[in-house]
Amino acid sequence: MSRKKSTPAPDEGPRPDLTRVLEAKAKTLDENRPEALAKRAATGHQTIRQNITQLIDPDSFQEYGQLAEPAYQKLTGPADGLVMGTGMVSGARVGFMGYDYTVHAGTQSIINHAKADRFLHLVESLRLPLVLWADGGGWRPYENNINSRDYEETFAMMAQLSGLVPTVGVVSGRCFAGNANLAGLCDTLIATRKAALGMGGPPLVEAALGITLTPEELGPAEMHEACGAVDVLVDDEREAIDCVRRYLSFFLGPGRSSDEAPDTAALRRLVPENPRRAYDVRKVIEGIADLDSVLELRPRFARAAVTALAKVQGVPVGVLANQPMHQAGAIDSPTSDKLARFIQLCDAHDIPMLYLCDTPGLMVGPEVEATALVRHSSRILNAAVNATTPFMTVILRKAYGLGQYMMGALPLKPALLVGWPTAEFGAMGFEGAVKITHKAELEAIPDKKARLERERELADGLRAHNTALGLAGRYELDDVIDPADTREVVIRFLGSLPPVPPRTGRKRTIDNW
Amino acid sequence: MSREIQSPVTGTVWKIEVAVGGQADAGDDLIIVESMKMEIPVVTDSECVVKEIRCSEGDAVTEGQVLLVVDP
Repeated sequence: MSRKKSTPAPDEGPRPDLTRVLEAKAKTLDENRPEALAKRAATGHQTIRQNITQLIDPDSFQEYGQLAEPAYQKLTGPADGLVMGTGMVSGARVGFMGYDYTVHAGTQSIINHAKADRFLHLVESLRLPLVLWADGGGWRPYENNINSRDYEETFAMMAQLSGLVPTVGVVSGRCFAGNANLAGLCDTLIATRKAALGMGGPPLVEAALGITLTPEELGPAEMHEACGAVDVLVDDEREAIDCVRRYLSFFLGPGRSSDEAPDTAALRRLVPENPRRAYDVRKVIEGIADLDSVLELRPRFARAAVTALAKVQGVPVGVLANQPMHQAGAIDSPTSDKLARFIQLCDAHDIPMLYLCDTPGLMVGPEVEATALVRHSSRILNAAVNATTPFMTVILRKAYGLGQYMMGALPLKPALLVGWPTAEFGAMGFEGAVKITHKAELEAIPDKKARLERERELADGLRAHNTALGLAGRYELDDVIDPADTREVVIRFLGSLPPVPPRTGRKRTIDNW
Repeated sequence: MSREIQSPVTGTVWKIEVAVGGQADAGDDLIIVESMKMEIPVVTDSECVVKEIRCSEGDAVTEGQVLLVVDP
């Protein structure tokens, strides 16, 4: 039996079969698409592949469907306008899916829906945190001519990821219809100042309402920041990528941040002695969290409360705080929605929470009642009571009425409930209470100024009985602390928590509003 | 370069703590606006001299309204 001896072939470069593949792949890359690159640069944008290069760790991106082409044969389109794959971000695994605006304006097509469906199933089964770059014009109208069964699961699959894996969306240009729908299904949405976002784009608006608008007039990013649709507004794509990286770091457990301590001594002077004087609660958060670790979500929406992801000694924490600078920290409908969704976000992903309470209670008046405050405010309790992730509460100052109940008071079973020396409890504000209990006495004082003085005197008397020390004496607080020690107290609270049990399934979904 | 300092909230001007020509240090209260029974301090982030005051105590003001102009 003779056996042919195999000899290594001299390196003559790739054979034609491989060459065809390599050429087809190369055609999809930016360097071989100078016109598309120039067009994107002309509007001051990066391409989707540039975004991927900046976000995903080098050599870690495994692309799926790079060679896909539009089903409509008259069109060409690299990867059919959707670049997706698995990769690493700062050493942690993610799924990335981004529409390519240089391919038919990032529109959604028969083939790229098939790609998205496949990828979202993969994200689900591998439990990959998902980054979605959503820019695009919705359905690609050219493909209406194709005879095929119209079946895509993309939107349903995206909704199904809620609470199962962290999802973060980015909008850096025009994003309408189906693309906007995907953006809206993300837990958290980042937009650049150039972004224009909306469910119905300009052609639909013109057809339905007869109004001609540019995308930027119809759905400017700053409007979306103010109305709460966008969680974080950034200057450009580079900032958006940094923000995605920071955001993801909160969902990877402890040990992934520098844990430089802030100036905690400043906390002693932050809450003014005058109970009627406002202060910026963001400074309190900065005095507790690791330096530069705070990522505020929805900062310009429902400003009577601050919701922020932060780290304390490298451990992710969700911070919920009343903001006395806006409507005294009174909770209205948008504020309720903001707090409730944030609780769900933290709870779904096992991020312990820190409540900072200084609120006169729920907002009052016919205007706010007309916003269905009865229902909206209930969302906070529903979210908080049905959360299983531990939290602690610091009463900074006012803890009145239902407001304090909603801000992590005893009935919600905080793991730790402490007060600053300025803490004060009441079923309602002391000024309001004395107006009722001393109605006759106050009404008998004819001079308005003298009446106001007596009212304040009575209120201060009531306040003195409900100070932090009085509350601790009745054991309504676990401790009264030196404000400068707050960070240490939070560190001890985090240290007291059991490890997060491994989960395979979903704990809860996260409300998209 | 002078700076316009705006009201952070809608409310009533409660107290004006400075006078035209007066000097203020970083963090000083310039004006106190009352809103929702709270006193909201309007502060300066850096040392300045008050150039112009565009409101009076008791005035109703809206968020973003210019209350005073300072130098620099």
